[in-house]
Amino acid sequence: MKKFLFICVLVTTDLIFAAAAFSQDLSSLKEASRNIRSVKGEFLQKRHLQILTKPLFSEGRLFLYAPDSLRWEYLSPLRSVMLQKGNTIQVYNFSEGVWKPEMTQAIESRRMVLAEISHWFQGRFDQSKAFKHVYSPGPPARVTMVPGEGINRFIQRIEIILSVRPGVIDRVEIEEPGGSRTSIEFRNVEINSSFSSEFFEKP
Amino acid sequence: MIRRKGLDICLLGILILSIGCVPISKTTLIPGSPDDLPGCYVIFPSGPWESVHRIEATFRGGGSSSLLGVTKGEPSERRLQSLLLSPEGFILFDAEHRESEISVRKAVVPFDSPAFARGLMEDVTLLFLPPQVKPTTWRKETDGTMICNWENPDDTQTEIRGSTGSGWRILRRDKQGEVIKEVVLNGPFVNGLASRAELHAFKPASYKLRMTLVQPSP
Repeated sequence: MKKFLFICVLVTTDLIFAAAAFSQDLSSLKEASRNIRSVKGEFLQKRHLQILTKPLFSEGRLFLYAPDSLRWEYLSPLRSVMLQKGNTIQVYNFSEGVWKPEMTQAIESRRMVLAEISHWFQGRFDQSKAFKHVYSPGPPARVTMVPGEGINRFIQRIEIILSVRPGVIDRVEIEEPGGSRTSIEFRNVEINSSFSSEFFEKP
Repeated sequence: MIRRKGLDICLLGILILSIGCVPISKTTLIPGSPDDLPGCYVIFPSGPWESVHRIEATFRGGGSSSLLGVTKGEPSERRLQSLLLSPEGFILFDAEHRESEISVRKAVVPFDSPAFARGLMEDVTLLFLPPQVKPTTWRKETDGTMICNWENPDDTQTEIRGSTGSGWRILRRDKQGEVIKEVVLNGPFVNGLASRAELHAFKPASYKLRMTLVQPSP
């Protein structure tokens, strides 16, 4: 009985310390992210589909001005851009030498995606409306986003692997229920560099 | 003499203009040589294959959309699986065509109508699978151009015309013989798939698909 009690105390103590460490790490991450005014970078997206033996590669770049301006742009194989400035979202495709507004738009689902990306790059994981987050100190440190009811029909979970550079994301892994998954690797990420605000208004 | 030359030029002009105006006429052929028959199938992949295409769709009224098309084919089973993805990689549509059955696995708005699924799978079939029956007539021209005609079980007709050097054209005609869909394929062909394809649908809906092969496999 005494032995059982001892183990219980030990486990409880461990849990308390683990929770304290977790809270501290997540707090320092949030603190580091608080200083982020802008993010600029490139990404390589690998889309693994069950139908394909080889993944589908897409390349692009992103520009972010905290708190709510984001340009998420694909350069290949399709040239396309999602622009967010405040509550305004626009989607354009480059076709026949000109930018054309996307016909389907699907603004609400894209609004959710852009909001999630903005939150991640600003360390505001707790502000997600669709996901709960779990932080693991690593290394590498990572944040697992677990979807709520409804979203889990499309996304099983999202892993955000953090860089040792405060506020920088190395990679995002998105798993879907059918076995398909997407990996997005970020490169050449610059924090707090300046660029034109037109990036969020015009394709 | 000058008047005669002027008349000739005028007649030539009228002839050129009238050629531009005539509908795509059906070529009447007799059954060709058995040796030439394989030429009717060269534009269709023969073994299992998969592909990724960049698709630019233009609709009547000027609307357009850019998508990624992922297709997997098993010609021996007449099976095709086709996905449409948004530029971000979201699956918007996922369906399979097996023999003449279509099963839709996923379809989001505005790609969720049965008419869309039927039309899309018809397009994919026209592009990647030869008609189920043997051509009724075919001919190989002296310049190597193949012309093949099929009478389909549903009374529609398919015509294929072209050569490796000049590119290929697939025509689908309705029961009245009017062209309802036209496909232009341009090489080079990679693993049996054309690098560029343009599909123009005239009836019942009018739209154009410009497809560029991004990733052929295996």
